[in-house]
Amino acid sequence: MTQDTRITPGNRAREALARWADRSPLGQRVAYWIGRTAGGIQLRLKIKGRADIPWTPMNKPLAEATVALVTTGGVHLCTDQPFNLSSDASFRVIPRAATSDALCISHDHYDRRDAARDINLVFPLERLLELEQEGVIGHVADVHYGFGFVKDPLELIAAGRKVGAQLAQAGVDLVVLIPG
Amino acid sequence: MTTVGLALVRELAVAVQAPRMLYLHWPFGHALGEPGQRDQQRTILHDAFALARIAPHPGLVVDLPYQWRRHAYAPVMDWATESETLREAMERAEAIC
Repeated sequence: MTQDTRITPGNRAREALARWADRSPLGQRVAYWIGRTAGGIQLRLKIKGRADIPWTPMNKPLAEATVALVTTGGVHLCTDQPFNLSSDASFRVIPRAATSDALCISHDHYDRRDAARDINLVFPLERLLELEQEGVIGHVADVHYGFGFVKDPLELIAAGRKVGAQLAQAGVDLVVLIPG
Repeated sequence: MTTVGLALVRELAVAVQAPRMLYLHWPFGHALGEPGQRDQQRTILHDAFALARIAPHPGLVVDLPYQWRRHAYAPVMDWATESETLREAMERAEAIC
């Protein structure tokens, strides 16, 4: 597949906005303001009042740890069903054997052209595999997870718990969370 | 299971109340940097792994000072030790707390 065919086409107006946001300083400021205002207010209202922040210290040296990735950049196997671009709280499993040309991006709230050229920007699996080879990390987990755009963060709670349980069951020690 | 998150909107990183977050003032879709820039991408992973190891308490949001397209990245030589950049950024984050 080519870089272009690995991007699920999105809303044209949003696409134009995302490209403008990516390529100009003013666009970046506007996109940041939108993200901060829309997302920040929503999260503050919905997460307000949580008593404790979860905390699990690293109890193993990195060179012995199993590391997994969770991305919200809309990454999935091209053979899997694309995410619904308007909002989708489901997740996709991405095996460690997935090559970059087998990965697609279904998310139209950011300019995906650079990520389509180098998927490591939103899903650094190739970097992790290098680090495993070099002995920097113990193991790259057998499976990783991709999420798409979600309007309401509360919808992610059930899917997030399911992914967390699967990661724990797989013996993962460290998860790196990457936004789109 | 330990988690460390990257964030591209600082206010969201704070609002989400995650255990450990690294904030980068970079464009959306570029949490690891620029395409093909392996040393840059490895630098961010190095900082993320180090924060997972040394963050002193939950809820810390660390602002990494790397400027978009204005920073030269050297290869990471010592993965067992945190970078000076991260150490200084953590001190600044703790001072804000």
